[in-house]
Amino acid sequence: MSDIIRRDPRAEWIMRNRLHPLHEQYASQEEGGEVRGPSGLIRKFPHKVGFIGPNGIKRIDRLKGNATAPKGKRSAAAQEVQLPLHKVDSPDYYIMVVADMVGGRLTGHDKDILGLAHKLIAEQGGNGAVVAVCFGEVKEEHFDTAGVDRVLHIEGEAFEGYAPEARVQALAKVEAQYTVKHWLFPDSIHGGCDLASRLAARLGERPATQAWQVNAEQTVSRGASASLDITRQTPKILMLLEECADAIDETRHEATPMSLDDVSVAAATIKDKGLMAVDPNAIPMAEAEFILSAGNGIHNWDQFHEAAQVLGATEGASRVAVDDGFMPRSRQVGATGTWVTARVYVAVGISGAIQHMQGIGQVDKVVAINTDAGCDMVKRAALSVIGDSEEILAELMKLVAEHKQTSLSDQAEENSNAA
Amino acid sequence: MVIDWLPSILIVVLLLLGVIGMLRRASLWRAGQPEKVNIIAGLMAMPGRYLKDLHHVVERDKYMSKTHVATGGGFVLSMVLVLVVHVFKVQQQIVAWALLGALLLMLVGAFFVFKRRLNPPERLSKGPWMRLPKSLITFAVTFIVLTLPAAGILPEGTGGIALIMVLSIGVIIGLGELLFGMGWGGPMKHAFAGALHLAFHRRPERFGGGRSTGLKPVDLTSAVIGVAKPSDFKWNQLLGFDACVQCGKCQAMCPAFAAGQPLNPKKLIQDMVVGLAGGTDANYAGSPYPGKEVGQAKGNPNEIITAGLVSQETLWSCTTCRACVEECPMMIEHVDAIVDMRRFLTMEKGETPNKGSEVLENIIATDNPGGYAPGSRTNWAADQNLPVMKDKKEVDVLFWVSDGAFDMRSQRILRAFVKLMKAANVDVAILGDEERDSGDVARRLGDDATFQSLAKRNLATLGQYKFNKIVTTDPHAYHCLRNEYADFDKDGALAGVEVLHHTTFLNQLVQSGALKLDAFKGGKVTYHDPCYLGRYNGEYEAPRDLLRSLGIEIAEMERSGFRSRCCGGGGGAPITDIPGERRIADMRMEDASATGAELVAVGCQQCTAMLEGVVEPRPQVKDISEILVDQLIEEVH
Amino acid sequence: MPHKVISLISVGRHPQSGRSRRADQDSRAVELGLKLAGTGLDVVHAGNSEEPVLRQYAGMGLPKVTVLEQAESADALPALSNYLKAEKADIVLTGVRSESGESSGMTPYLLAEQLGWPIVARVADIVEIKDGEAQVLLALPRGQRRQVTVKLPFIASIDNAAQAARQSAYGPGLRAKMAAQTGSTEEDNVRVNWSEAPAKARPKRLKVVKAKTAADRFKAATAKPQGGSGKVMKNESAQEKAQAIFDLLIEEKVIR
Ligand SMILES: Cc1cc2nc3c(=O)[nH]c(=O)nc-3n(C[C@H](O)[C@H](O)[C@H](O)COP(=O)(O)OP(=O)(O)OC[C@H]3O[C@@H](n4cnc5c(N)ncnc54)[C@H](O)[C@@H]3O)c2cc1C
Ligand code: SF4
Ligand code: SF4
Repeated sequence: MSDIIRRDPRAEWIMRNRLHPLHEQYASQEEGGEVRGPSGLIRKFPHKVGFIGPNGIKRIDRLKGNATAPKGKRSAAAQEVQLPLHKVDSPDYYIMVVADMVGGRLTGHDKDILGLAHKLIAEQGGNGAVVAVCFGEVKEEHFDTAGVDRVLHIEGEAFEGYAPEARVQALAKVEAQYTVKHWLFPDSIHGGCDLASRLAARLGERPATQAWQVNAEQTVSRGASASLDITRQTPKILMLLEECADAIDETRHEATPMSLDDVSVAAATIKDKGLMAVDPNAIPMAEAEFILSAGNGIHNWDQFHEAAQVLGATEGASRVAVDDGFMPRSRQVGATGTWVTARVYVAVGISGAIQHMQGIGQVDKVVAINTDAGCDMVKRAALSVIGDSEEILAELMKLVAEHKQTSLSDQAEENSNAA
Repeated sequence: MVIDWLPSILIVVLLLLGVIGMLRRASLWRAGQPEKVNIIAGLMAMPGRYLKDLHHVVERDKYMSKTHVATGGGFVLSMVLVLVVHVFKVQQQIVAWALLGALLLMLVGAFFVFKRRLNPPERLSKGPWMRLPKSLITFAVTFIVLTLPAAGILPEGTGGIALIMVLSIGVIIGLGELLFGMGWGGPMKHAFAGALHLAFHRRPERFGGGRSTGLKPVDLTSAVIGVAKPSDFKWNQLLGFDACVQCGKCQAMCPAFAAGQPLNPKKLIQDMVVGLAGGTDANYAGSPYPGKEVGQAKGNPNEIITAGLVSQETLWSCTTCRACVEECPMMIEHVDAIVDMRRFLTMEKGETPNKGSEVLENIIATDNPGGYAPGSRTNWAADQNLPVMKDKKEVDVLFWVSDGAFDMRSQRILRAFVKLMKAANVDVAILGDEERDSGDVARRLGDDATFQSLAKRNLATLGQYKFNKIVTTDPHAYHCLRNEYADFDKDGALAGVEVLHHTTFLNQLVQSGALKLDAFKGGKVTYHDPCYLGRYNGEYEAPRDLLRSLGIEIAEMERSGFRSRCCGGGGGAPITDIPGERRIADMRMEDASATGAELVAVGCQQCTAMLEGVVEPRPQVKDISEILVDQLIEEVH
Repeated sequence: MPHKVISLISVGRHPQSGRSRRADQDSRAVELGLKLAGTGLDVVHAGNSEEPVLRQYAGMGLPKVTVLEQAESADALPALSNYLKAEKADIVLTGVRSESGESSGMTPYLLAEQLGWPIVARVADIVEIKDGEAQVLLALPRGQRRQVTVKLPFIASIDNAAQAARQSAYGPGLRAKMAAQTGSTEEDNVRVNWSEAPAKARPKRLKVVKAKTAADRFKAATAKPQGGSGKVMKNESAQEKAQAIFDLLIEEKVIR
């Protein structure tokens, strides 16, 4: 950012025009009612001093904001529009959406499916309600804006962690207790697909898997490793692909709790022994989601390994780094090494030879750190920084270390709040 | 009296023992698989092959060739005459003089052998081979003295019993090496096995200036596919191994050995000898496989080779560059043996290392090693306006595109070549998506089943169309089409068709004036001979002619032409990627840099990929067609 | 007592060429079976015993493949569940989803339901079998693993994260025995009413911006599309460059 002071005539104009629809927004951005005048001098803006209190009376804050929550946040909240409430009274039927709830929150995939559920109700007619069925810990605070009419939260120790057997028994009981029109699951690796298949086998229903175009009558689903579109009558149980419909964003919903009468389950034959602790470097490279990869442009190997550790990244390497004996062969990325699928691949001092590029064809975001702005890796990268790797890695490590400090204290705070 | 007869008796005894040894040796070869040879014709052709073909190779080392003629020729002649003079006691002085002459010739030769052995180069084996010149000299000197009386130079009975005893010891030492050792596995075994190897060579086409480089098809219905044990080799392959003189010329040329990969072709052949005779390699006195200790290997004719005799990495290190075969004075076929053993590893054990199995699986499922959609094979040519055979049916030149079609770098070569053909108004078409991988990689990786299936399907496609020439930019496909498809071409799809490499074809176009080219103005240029173009197909001149036609004076590398060093890209070696101390491509690039060249001209997409894989700074690498296209004078119509 | 391990195999489909091949997950199931039971592994296919792809599986070193001979349109389930019951299987290994046909991935679940056995899905490895209980690693996204124990007998569907299948060798594959038994004749009647067509490409969801103001609409219209060449930072300070990388890592949620 340059520090030359520039005028923004439009902003000034809006600030002057109190009837402009954006006036409030602009006015609230200005800190303490101070405006930079045309000559660059600071001017007081009398209309801006103070704020409108909850009861509509203008107040002047003599504590300069120290007594309240930070200004930016509050004004953003004030800006939020109240969406119209969609109410369903004593529904005739339900559409059950068994959400993945990764980390206790609705995923994007879950939200798409909630959107689809409403679409099905609109097409089918009748007084249907969309139910989010969830297990275990729930942290989601925005069921209402995601299109959830009812929340069926099935709680109990038996359902915690990995408990597909208990969960499917509960779902079968839901089926018995409520009028369920459809069961919708995300066709995902987060458990949705597994649970859906179990339920389908239990209820003797033939589900549609990898469904992506669904209406009340017809479902189009993928088959034969996604090479086939199968069109059929929309079945009771559906496992849906991502983006099967648009998420709800223009209505608010009641999200009233529902309950299941009987939550007793038989003893599990599958016992969860918990997640295994994984060292990023023990993750098979092909599966790693974040790789820090070293090439011929690395001169300080200790620093590189430290950086990988600080960033929590899996280490990769170009063939030259392997040939020169700095990295084991199993770390080589490329034509004769591993083909990786990482979401982020940071290539440090790698020129981007074609054989190396073959290995990162499926990577989402490539970041290049290189001294040569003309090399092929820079052409491939979403973000390239031109400079000495050692210097940049050092700075990056500093940033990450700071970030960890603050997020640790954040967590500590959260924990104490919870306590 | 008896004492007088002692030398003669010793000669006969050692001769008999030698013959017994040879028969036993022959029985070892017969443990191999049957292979039809023409025995009479072979034996008749043998002296010629020895004098012409073998010496053509030995001739590259003038010193050794003269030495060998003197020693070997002298020995054969004197041995015959020794029998005449000392066993059959023919009393003519003239014969004795002739014997003396032959022995002197041999003595001179043996002296030079001795000299070479004073400070032997690293490639030569030591051990028993170090005593050979001494045995030769002993033989010559002993028989010279023994013959002196017969020649009338010394009176009969000179020296009395003492001399006879000394000479008898000389006879034992000399003939022990030369006759007994020949049959019982001493260094002289090479003479007897070598002679028979020349007579019964598995590739008789190689003699008389011919070339035979295509691999032999494997029988897919046999109980074990490929070579698992020494006895699975053909009998004449075993015989060939026995002919090895451990001269190490192969080792000196082997790129894998130089790169420190665990392969030494000489040791490999010697291990095959250990395998066919049974025993260990403890007596081997040459360079080891880099990084492997000598003395650990053991085997016998009926034991799996890779279970103790030769490690799998050794077999997978080979780039099938044929430098060893080209250099071997005994015309031993290393590559055949290596691929035979690979066939067992791939087709019976399923142990192709590294990316090998993935590549093979891709070839099987998609007809290309990269596993790309077969329907995208012609994508590169979307803007090239190239007719496909399916529409044309008949054409003068069929352009075999090869799997370079899927690789962005190789596509530049393809486009350059297409542009040149268009400029010369060539009537050309491609097979388009009907083309399949030639099968080269599959075959070198030992998967002959897949190669055969590809060859048959490609031939079936080719058989539907009419064309006069097939031209390809890929020397590997060129080799398959030209030398290996014939074994499967039952319907004559390629009969009468000229198979050409693009450099040959372009050279024809330039010579006939169909292509007009400007002089090249860049810096120094060197040329790298691709193995599959040069050694496999003998094309050394066309690419050079083309460069010369641009006014380029080629700065030749130390190793060029038939001695060109491999880029490391053949035989599936980049796929199996056996670690060494260095990269073959790096060494080749050093060769190129040493000429001071700024540009390396090549005639192969694989060489281009390998050499461009060398870390910068390095000379640029371009296919000849790319160089030509830059100098093309386009006529504006 | 060695455990009876059965791997179920189907005809796969190469993603690029669409040709038949040994299915990736199924062959991993065979690989895991070989690890658990060696040559005692029973490999079972419901379908045509002439199918060449079976030889590709056999090339992994199987002396024999059991084929429950049945027509392609027949339902594989009854034949398989009868076979598993008769053979008293302890562990049954399948792929997660087949590569051809409906690819619903329901086979292991339906078998489990019919047999009353537990099913563990997306297995990366079976570490140990002890006292009638198996220690199983489940594959979670991005190399994460969950450990569970499950009582024998059970069914496991094998994830792509499991040990890759060994190479298939031509010779043994060619010589393996195809032990055919009669399979089921029950037709799959539901499927008859479906229509099938080559998959249509799914449109990528555009970032629909429900613009509330002209400015938003303008921004949405002129926003740089995804893809294209990336951002290059040359002259900024090292600190700023690091910050840019850091921001990207945070945005992509690889640093938390
Ligand atoms: C058959 C074959 C297979 C191959 N397979 C593979 C494979 O699987 N994987 C693979 O990686 N390669 C493979 N290669 C090798 C490949 O061609 C390249 O040689 C290799 O990838 C280059 O590695 P590099 O980028 O680390 O080295 P270089 O090409 O030397 O690149 C080093 C880079 O670091 C930059 N740099 C230098 N100093 C600094 C610094 N201080 N700070 C930041 N940047 C700096 C330079 O600008 C340069 O861009 C293969 C080659 C062949 C022929
Ligand atoms: S073919 Fe080439 S790489 Fe193979 S052994 Fe002979 S010289 Fe060595
Ligand atoms: S194989 Fe040939 S070149 Fe090699 S050592 Fe033996 S004789 Fe010499």
